[in-house]
Amino acid sequence: MSQEIAVVGSPEFTTGFRLAGVRRFENVPDDEKESELDDAVTTALDDEDVGIVVMHDDDLDHLSRNVRQNVETSVEPVVVTIGSGTGGGGLRDQIKRAIGIDLMEEDEEEDSDSE
Amino acid sequence: MAKDVKPTRKNLMEIEDRIELSERGHGTLEKKRDGLIMEFMDILDKAQDVRGDLADDYDQAQRKINMARAMEGDVAVRGAAAALQEHPEITTESKNIMGVVVPQIESSRVSKDLSERGYGIMGTSARIDEAAEAYEDLLESIILAAEVETAMKKMLREIETTKRRVNALEFKLLPDLYDSQEYIEQKLEEQEREETFRLKKIKEKKEQEEKEAREAEADEDDIEIDEADMEPPATGGVPGN
Repeated sequence: MSQEIAVVGSPEFTTGFRLAGVRRFENVPDDEKESELDDAVTTALDDEDVGIVVMHDDDLDHLSRNVRQNVETSVEPVVVTIGSGTGGGGLRDQIKRAIGIDLMEEDEEEDSDSE
Repeated sequence: MAKDVKPTRKNLMEIEDRIELSERGHGTLEKKRDGLIMEFMDILDKAQDVRGDLADDYDQAQRKINMARAMEGDVAVRGAAAALQEHPEITTESKNIMGVVVPQIESSRVSKDLSERGYGIMGTSARIDEAAEAYEDLLESIILAAEVETAMKKMLREIETTKRRVNALEFKLLPDLYDSQEYIEQKLEEQEREETFRLKKIKEKKEQEEKEAREAEADEDDIEIDEADMEPPATGGVPGN
């Protein structure tokens, strides 16, 4: 079954992806993120034709607790966050819980050493 | 739990069977957990590379689109974005890593030629083309990242479940079963000792009774003999007659 990519975020964020051909997008202006972003993300996650949801890292902070947890653990569709942070979001906590060691910490330290 | 079981030989045999099965399962699950963690480490390395590329691609795409916006204006960029005809699609196939089904995402129509994009060549500039190209590259990276991250999430879930099972067996089920086994063994040994003691007692009692019976018989015989000795001879008449 072929699926599509969806983008959720501010109009500035989604425009670029639309330029690459992504037609499923949820535009949420910055000043409406607190109230509207939850619904936009939930809509994208519930859409069966969507296989990947792209979001900005900083937008995760505007999400409510439940939706954020869904975003972090969702596998179908998978949410890929890009932007400022190292990415992964809740992945780091999940790794810490499952393996028992913070594997991502080492890499970050290595990165900062090399800088 | 140890006190809940009836101390019978049948229960002991059942518990011994369960211990054998649980120990075997514990060993297998431990191996599965270690195997999963090793596979996960490989995926994690790959994920870190992909993440690095993704960040670079995003920076590049941001720079290109900002440049396009600055030179052509926001309206022109949005106009071009709205004109796109071809849409990227992804198809998911699955791969099995130690029982965990991880997706393999194939993408189509992500990278497009200038003529396939749908916006007119005349109305737009090369900067918009460059931005579109950069975002197409970014999408490729995102699709790769999605594949790797889904695999990681699924593997982590499986590792967590397996770890819980191993711990439950190691720290709850097996100790309980060992306790029950020990309890039944001790109870059975105690019963055996009681039985031996009882048999001994019965034997002693029986011997005592037999002895008493023999003594009583011997006493009776003695009395009869005595009585026989004391009786006068019946044939003799009155002396002197």
